[in-house]
This record gives sequence, C-alpha cells and structure tokens, in this order.
Amino acid sequence: MYSATMQMLGRPFANIPPKARQALGLVTLAVVLLLFPYFHNNDADIASMANAGAYVALALGLNIVVGFAGLLDLGYAAFFAIGVYYYGVFTAYQVMPVWSSGWAPLAAVGLVEKINQGGPDLVHFTLSFWLALPTAALVTSFFGVCFGAPTLRLRGDYLAIVTLGFGEIVPIVFRNSDSITNGAAGLNGVASPSIFGFDFGVDATPYYYVGLFLVALLIYVSIRLRDGRVGRAWMAIREDETAASTMGVNLVNYKLLAFAIGAGFAGMTGVYYVAILQTATPDMFNFNVSAMLLVMVVLGGMGSVWGVVVGAFLLQIMQSWLLPDLNWMLHSIGELVGSVWLQNVDMVKSTQLIFGVILVFMMLFRRDGLIPATRKTPPLDMIQQAAQVQRGGFVGMEKIGRWEQRSGNALEVKDVTVRFGGLTALDRVNIVVPEGGVVAVIGPNGSGKSTLFNVITGLVPADGGSILFQGAELLGLAPHTILEKGVARTFQNIRLFPNLTVLENVLIGQHARLKTGPLGAVLMSPAGAAEEKRARQWAVDIIGLFGNRLAPRLAQTVLGLSYANRRRVEIARALASRPKILLLDEPTAGMNPNETLELAEQIKSLHDLGLTILLIEHKLDVVTRLAQNVVVLDHGEKIAEGPADVVRQDEEVLRAYLGRAGREHVAAVHAKAAETTVAEGTGDA
Amino acid sequence: MTVYDLALQQLINGVSLGSMYALLALGFTLVYGILELINFSHFNVFMVGSFVAFYVLEGFGVVGQNTIMTGLPLVGVLLAALAVTMLVTGGIGIGIERFLLRPLRSVKGPAAMILTIGVSYVLFNIIVLGAGADSKNFPNPLPPIAFTFGEVVLRMREILIWIISLVLMGGLTYFVGYTKLGKAMRATAQDPEAARMMGIEVDRVIMMAFFLGSALAGAGGMIFGLYYNYTSFMIGFSAGLRAFTAAVLGGIGNVPGAMLGGMLIGLIEAFSGAFIATAWTDVIIFSLLVLVLVFRPNGLLGRMAPDKS
Amino acid sequence: MLEKTGLEGGHRDGSALLEFQKVNTYYGDLHVLKDVDYFIGKGEIVCLLGGNASGKSTTMKTIMGVVRPQTGEVIYDGKPISKMSTNDRVKHGIAPVLEARRLFPRMTVYENLELGAYTQPRGPQFDEDLERVYELFPRVKERRDQISGTLSGGEQQMVAIGRALMARPRLICMDEPSMGLSPLFVEQVFDIIQTINKQGTTIFMVEQNANMALSIAHRAYVLQTGVVVLSGPAAELRENDDIKQAYLGEMKVD
Repeated sequence: MYSATMQMLGRPFANIPPKARQALGLVTLAVVLLLFPYFHNNDADIASMANAGAYVALALGLNIVVGFAGLLDLGYAAFFAIGVYYYGVFTAYQVMPVWSSGWAPLAAVGLVEKINQGGPDLVHFTLSFWLALPTAALVTSFFGVCFGAPTLRLRGDYLAIVTLGFGEIVPIVFRNSDSITNGAAGLNGVASPSIFGFDFGVDATPYYYVGLFLVALLIYVSIRLRDGRVGRAWMAIREDETAASTMGVNLVNYKLLAFAIGAGFAGMTGVYYVAILQTATPDMFNFNVSAMLLVMVVLGGMGSVWGVVVGAFLLQIMQSWLLPDLNWMLHSIGELVGSVWLQNVDMVKSTQLIFGVILVFMMLFRRDGLIPATRKTPPLDMIQQAAQVQRGGFVGMEKIGRWEQRSGNALEVKDVTVRFGGLTALDRVNIVVPEGGVVAVIGPNGSGKSTLFNVITGLVPADGGSILFQGAELLGLAPHTILEKGVARTFQNIRLFPNLTVLENVLIGQHARLKTGPLGAVLMSPAGAAEEKRARQWAVDIIGLFGNRLAPRLAQTVLGLSYANRRRVEIARALASRPKILLLDEPTAGMNPNETLELAEQIKSLHDLGLTILLIEHKLDVVTRLAQNVVVLDHGEKIAEGPADVVRQDEEVLRAYLGRAGREHVAAVHAKAAETTVAEGTGDA
Repeated sequence: MTVYDLALQQLINGVSLGSMYALLALGFTLVYGILELINFSHFNVFMVGSFVAFYVLEGFGVVGQNTIMTGLPLVGVLLAALAVTMLVTGGIGIGIERFLLRPLRSVKGPAAMILTIGVSYVLFNIIVLGAGADSKNFPNPLPPIAFTFGEVVLRMREILIWIISLVLMGGLTYFVGYTKLGKAMRATAQDPEAARMMGIEVDRVIMMAFFLGSALAGAGGMIFGLYYNYTSFMIGFSAGLRAFTAAVLGGIGNVPGAMLGGMLIGLIEAFSGAFIATAWTDVIIFSLLVLVLVFRPNGLLGRMAPDKS
Repeated sequence: MLEKTGLEGGHRDGSALLEFQKVNTYYGDLHVLKDVDYFIGKGEIVCLLGGNASGKSTTMKTIMGVVRPQTGEVIYDGKPISKMSTNDRVKHGIAPVLEARRLFPRMTVYENLELGAYTQPRGPQFDEDLERVYELFPRVKERRDQISGTLSGGEQQMVAIGRALMARPRLICMDEPSMGLSPLFVEQVFDIIQTINKQGTTIFMVEQNANMALSIAHRAYVLQTGVVVLSGPAAELRENDDIKQAYLGEMKVD
C-alpha cells in the first residue's frame, strides 16, 4: 500500500536524474521557507519557526559530537549558555566599568559607548550581533576544547557523565556570578540586532530569516565536513578507536575538533537565541535542554544531517503548535462530554513524557532514527564492474605502481620485551625484515605473535628493546604517527569500521596521506576538491586490485560483507595508506583453500611490486610460498628462524607445536599403555 | 555556635545525607558492576520511591509534621512504608530490566544508556502528571525528641535514618558476601562467561541486581523525605548525580566503595554548605567527579567491573 | 574410524556419553565446525587436537551450549541437548575447565569451589565433594582462603579442575589444560586428569600439547580448520606423522 502510493507519487519525477531531483527538492524547500512569512503572516507562528530554527541549529551541533564522532555529550547546553551569555553580557546594561580614556579606541570601532546614568561616566558594551555570531563560535570552541581535553581519555560512558557534570556546573557558575550575569534574575535588555540602521526590534520576521540563514549555514558545514576527510576520521573514531588510530587518525585532535566545532555551533546559536529573547537566565540551560537535544538527534538519526534537522523541527513544532492545539481539542471534547478531567488536561506538561517515550521506542525499535544516516556513493560504471578475478595475483596492478626500492633493513626489532602483569608476552625478541622482503612469524596460540604486531604499531608499550623502521625508532610513538611513517597493518579478528561502506573504509586508510582540514572542506578549496577526487580514484584502484570480489560492492557497508571479503577490505584499507611495510595478521584465516590460494598469490604480487611484508600465518604452505625467512615464536621467545623448509623440520619447533611433554614421562606412559593393551589381548595398535 | 559545634552538627547532617547517597550509589554500582551500564532511570526510581513512601504514610493517616506516633504503631507504620516502597521500586527496577533493557543487551554502544534516560523521563512525567508539580509536605510521624549537646541537635529522624541505612547496607553486605545468589552476583560481575559456564543463570542474577539496586533507591527516597520534610518530582536529578559521583569516587562496581563514596559525598555536601556556600556545593561535587575520573578513574577502593576489551 | 579402541577399562562399557552428529557451527557467516562427528564413550579420555583456529574452542562452546549448532545434533547420555541451556547441562553433569582457567579472580579459592557446586544442593554431599577435591589437591586446601587472582598459574589450574569436580560431573570438558603452565606442572596436571578419569569421570580434552595428551588419552580426534581430519586410538595417532602436518597447517587445495 505504502510503497504503491510512493510509486504513484514518484512517477512524475522518475525520469529526472537523482542529483537533479535532489537539487529540485532543495530549491523547492528553500523557496517555501523564504516565502513562508508572506503567505502565512502570523507573528506568533513565525516566532515559533524562528525558535525552532535555534533548536535545529543546536541539534546539528550536537550531531557533530554525538552522531559523527560518537562522543556522548550530555551537557551540550553548557556551550549554548556560553554563547548566550557572551552576547548578553556584552550588550546588556549589566557590566559597566567606569569610563576612562583607554576605552576610546574601542568606542571608535563601535564596541563600547560612553553612557551616563547619573554619577560617573560608564562604559556600555555594544558588541554587534554580526560580529558576535562568528566570535561566539570561536569563544565557545575554546571552551569546547577546555572541557573536552580532560575527558577524552575516558571511557565512553564516563564521558557522558562528566559532560553531564560540566553541563550542570556552567549554569551554576552563571547563577553565582551575580555581578557579571545578574545571577538567577537573569540578564535583561540584551540588544536586538540591527543592520544598515534597521533595528530588528520585536518583530519575528527578521529573526526568522537570520535563523534560516544560520540553519542553512550549519547544514552546509555539516555536510561538507561529513563528506570529506574530517568526517570520515570522526566516523572511524565512532566505529572503532583502535582501528582508527592505527589507520592514521590522531584520536585526541579529532575528538577535540568535534567538541570544538559542536561547541561553536552552539555558541552561534546562543547569540541568535538571546537576540530573539533579549533576556537570559541560568535556568534556561539545565539538563532538560541537553536531553531534549539528544532526543532530537536520536529521533532524526544519529549522524544523519537531514534526519537531525527533521527530528529537531518535528519536536519543536510538536511543542509549540501540536500540543497546545491538542489541549484545545481535548478541552472542547471535555466540555462537550462534560468531563472535568478532559477539560483540565494539559498536554504541554506531557512534553517530557513524550520525549521519554520517543527515546525508549527509538532505542528498542529504530536505533538508526527516522532518516538513517545512509551515505550514498556514486554507482560504478560498467567497466569498473566488469573487473574479473584472475588467478595469479592482483588485477590492474599497473594503476598502483611499484614501490621505491631501497637497500638495507626496513624493520629491525631488537631485544623487545613486553610484559602484561606477571606474564612475559615477548621476551627479548629480535626480528629483521629486509627492504622488499617477506618475513613470516609463526607459533602456537599465545606465543606472542599478535603482541609483536601491537608493539610495532604502538598499541602496547614495550618494556625494553628498540624497534627501528628505516633507521628511526618507533617505540614511544602514537599509532597514528607510526602509520604516517609507513607501517600499516591488519588485525587477526578484523577491525573494520562496520557501518561505513567499503569505499569509506578504504578512504580512511588514506587519512594520513591527505591534507584537507575542516576549513578546506567547508570552503571547498579547489585543492581540497582535487585531493578528494584523487583520493577516491586511488581507493577505487586499490579496491579494483581484488577484481570483482569487491569492486561491485563499493557502496555497501562492510557489515554485510562475507568474512573473506572483509579480510580483503582490511588489506585494501591498509594498502590505501601507501605503506612502506605491510603487517598482515593471519590474512587467510577463515578462508577456504581456494580463497587462501588466491590471496597468497595476491600477497605475492605485492611482494613483486616491491612492498615489504611482515606476515603472521598458520598455513605453512602459504608461508612457504611467500616468505624468504620464517621466525618461530613460542611463549614469547624466538625459538627458531630460517627458511620455511628448514624451520618445519626443526625439533624445537615441532615440540613447540606438538607439546613439551617430558620425554621420559611420555615413554613411561606409552610403555604402560602397551602393557595394558597386550594384557587385555585386544590391542591392535 | 562555635566552629566545633558547627562541625559536629555538619558531621551529623553529613552522615545522614551520606547514608542516603550510599543507598542510591549502591544501585548504580550493582548494575554497572555487571552490565557496565550507567542506569539513568535510577535517578527517578529514587524519586518515585519517595512518592511511594509519601502515599503509604498518608495512607496510614500520617499527614505533614503534625501526626505524631509512638511505640509499636510508629515502628509498624515506618516498617510498612519502607517495605512497600522498596517492593514497588524494586518491581519497577525488574520491569525496566526485563522488558526494556534485556532486548538491548547484545546491542553495542550507548543505546541502553540512552534508553534509561528515556525511562527516567517517563517516570519523571508520570509523577508530574499523577501527583502534580508542587512540592509535597512529607509526612513524619516521629516524636519531636531531640538530644542537644551544646548547640548541636541530634533529632530522632537522624537516628532513624542511620538505623535504616545501617540495616540495609549490612543486609546487602551479607547478601553479596555470604549467600549463594550474592556470590553468583559477584562471580557474574567478575567474569560473566565463566559464571554462565558454572551453571549460574546470568539473567536471574542481573534481574536481582536491578531489584536490589532499585529497592535500595526506594529506601533512599523515603530517607530523603524524612530528612528534608518534603519531596518533589525534581529531587531525582541532583541526588542521582551526586550518588553516581559517590559510586565512581568509591570505585564503580565496588559495593563497600559505594558506601564509602556515599558517606564522603554526604559529608562534603554538609561541610561545603556550612563552610563555603550552598550555591557552590554542586560545583565542588562535580569538579570532584571530573578530577576523580581523570586522575583516579578506578576510584578510592578500585573499580570492579568486567574488563571487556 | 570411530570404533572403540579396544582399550576397555573397568567402567568403560562402549556406550556413548556424548556424541556430535554432523554438527555445523557458524559465527556470522564464518563456518567454524564443518560436519563434525565425535564419539565420547563413557569412562574414556578423549582428546581433541588441532592447531590454531581449528575450531577446538568452538567445540567446547558447543558442548557447553554457549554456541549452538546450526545443523546437526549434540547427544548427551542418549538424549539430544542442542536446545538445552548451559545451566541445565551443568546440572546434568557436564562441567567445564575453561581455557586459561578463568577463576573468579577477586573471590577466595573456597568461594570459587562453592560456585563450581552452584547447581548442586548444599548438604553433606557438598562436604564430601570438597573433601575429595582437597584430597586430590592438598595445595588447594592450604590456599582455600586466599584470593584466587593471587595464586600461581599452576595453583589456579588445580582450583579450576577442583571447581569442575564440585559440580559432580559425569563429563569434564577441559580447554587447553596445559596452556601457560611450566613443563613440570603439565605432567602433574595430566597425572591428575588420569586419576580423575580412573575414579569414573569421562574426560573430553581440547589440547594443543599433542604428545602429552596422546600419552594419557584413549582416543583422539584431530581437527583442522573445522574438519576432523584424523581420528582413532591415541596409540595409533602417536605414531602417525600426519598429525605433524595437521598441526603445522599444511592444507590440501581441492
């Protein structure tokens, strides 16, 4: 029924290409919103819309922090408050120092004016609304960084509670700073904006347009950030912090950036909001505001820009129009049927009940929100889709080029020791990987192989030794710095970003090789656009190496991929970072023999292109096929090293794998077993 | 009033407040210890508890501060109010766990926590709609006996509060330390998978944790009413946040830690109110929370939650 | 291949205590156990050998009911148990010794033993079982009031085995009992396993230490990437060179 209706409705537009359809929709929406005050000339409704604009803007800001970066901020209203008080204090008649000639330069540029209320001349701050908007963003961003910095190392749930604490502290500080904020009584006489001599005054329409502009701006910024390098880094953090850091994302910087930009949105909105109200009290920023914004984001869809806009708008409209209307209806019905209860019902009081029910229902039944954050990627052309898997290695290798040939050793692990409590996971291990070589690490479970990878990539600290990569020390560096130096890895248990597409996963691999920052993304610099285009081409080329295993699945989320394909994507993601050495942790685990052979040949072709590889692998014939040198670990110690054929005959290695049984004991048991067998006369061994 | 008198008085007040925070903190800690979930609905389960106690006491004809009872009737009424309150809030806790949180148990990320925020709002609004938004004069049937030491006053209600919380905390300590189900609860908190392999019904244990935590929160809600002589739909938030701070301060997941943390927070509130300024109490407590989390995230007595990587 | 070895001990009557019939297990779309059959006779020690990622731990989890087979059936004492909860399996006499011991680290040794008996009624029977554990492991008795997280690896393994015995098991499933123990202690553990078996408990043991395991087991299975590639009497497998290859991960490409 529903889909049939949609088809009927969609039919007239079916022939318009999707991009044009989108543009058409946007233009229609813009025209309707721009003309709204003309065909609906009701000041109260326009004021409601202007008010809704403020909440849409706030929800967009919270979406950066919660939706994009996955940092659950329950005290977001604090930044809103800071924006409000920033503009409020610098325009209201609250803080008025005594005038001295030192203020004259500021007066000359219009930031202050000299006034006299009887007594000495005083300074009245007259910060322009238009100057306040951008500077509020900067000021609140600064506070965002201040609040964010101590909390970023906390676990996600602790972060929520600490931000909740900050959200409580900020209004209390405003309440208790009487001399600056007029305390609980609140600021009064906040200046209304004016432009070219036209004062906004109390008419809602000019505010409506400012709000519309603000929301449009923030939507634009959100989308630009989301679709570029910065947004991908945030989403990588949200999906898997460890994997993000090993793929080159600086966790601290990007989390702070999310806090700062989110706070900046709130600061600008605060200026706008207080300009409408022209008054501010500390009670306007309690937990309920933060929670309501969270409801808006959850309702719309965390991380979904348009979803959040819709969610915030719906909830605001519900509060300002729907519930009062409902009240009126219920009261009328009450009068009609003579029910006193119905006549006295106040639905507005149930707002929070509705919020609560929305949160519960969305979490139980629709966690992705009304408009889930599905990010579309351009469909593939036929040539890309036609790529075929061939035995004998990668396809389309000419597109990625050869690695630069160097001599000497790429990686030198020297006497590295790692301890976890009393357990020595690695005990003075030495491994050398020559430039352009393939070295394999084997060993039974718990022998320290994955720990070796973790210590090389900076995920666990070493208790001694040194790891040189092309002559430079890696120990002590953060994982993202190690990736920048050219060390990329995969994980034994596959750590992709599950809700992102194949293309996005591989694009994140390039994070360290790209430069576009938030400003470049927002301003759409030509360099940034060209870089993004190159990055996408490179990602498609890398994915294309696996032929039609991955190429037709560019726009699928990796969650839906088969196990083997997820392994391939992880290798593609690592390759996308243009590594100088590739660390593969059991790349063929979970693959059937044919898939294993295919991948082994593909790894071989990477070697042929000159890439240096360190490999953990259990399937010895894969190792034999690929590695010039095999290192065997057991209980954290290197017990053997050499060509695969030699190592597999090594007594010590066999004992490591098959057990360290005391030989005498075994012999004794064998003898006993043989006796029993013979005695019972049923033995047939 | 000398400084010493003032300090002694605040010690008395602080221990009473601390008992309340400790009872509330235990609920956070029991649930967090097993599920690693910050249960925001706990804030308002506490608030609902104070209303349940309010209605039960009024049901016994105790109104405001004017109905004084003595002897067995007094003990009976108080015990009945406490028992009904704890059963009702415990039941709410079980309901929340069974019907709302269990379906989300295997869902990663903040979904469960966000859901508890929603539940908290629903409870909040049910009270607003059902009982009204005005503060209620909380019934107190205790005779107005007070012991005075100089200018320091120790009222009956403080003694009652101490007795209730001492008994409840003692009971919980016994339960967790010495009973089969209590041991199963600790085992589940330390290693849920191993606990399941021992044949422990983990679902039952989790439900028990919710029941106990919520029942203690209900008792805390009744204590709030007895201590402050009022209750209101608003009391959950700030008390809950302080109690959560207490749980973190003591080491979340750690039962003695929650009791210690609760006492400390109660004392900090009482002393900072008297010696600094009530207006700054929350700032002091939340700053403490931030400092603890940043510099000693495992709390004073050590965090005891499952260590999932 | 699945015939009994002929090594009939006093209590071994050749009937099955636990059987896997064509069991297939998946994690998501990862096919872990592929058409696996096991036969564990009453009173036997059966060991399951295999290299890394061969499906040994998944076998354990399937027996305990933590992982359920997608197809196939697990039969215990003649009855299918694929739908039975872990709790009921323990109650019916299947007790685990978990990989890496997995004691409850902040509880005492005694409390750990108590939890092993969680599904059993508390009574004189409990005291008997406790006495039996203390007899097998005098060391555990000495340490009964110590917090188990502070024990040495070997002592922890004793407690873990003792904890399993407290459930009055008919079948003990051990996951890598020798892992992380010193060679000397490995021998002790295997001696104890034999003793327990002689007292009438069937043992199914997942083990990487093939030499040691085969020295005490009656029969063995070798698992490689989820497929049983070898099985038979332990004495035969001891002489079989194919085990080496299975362990070192040599595979045949179809």
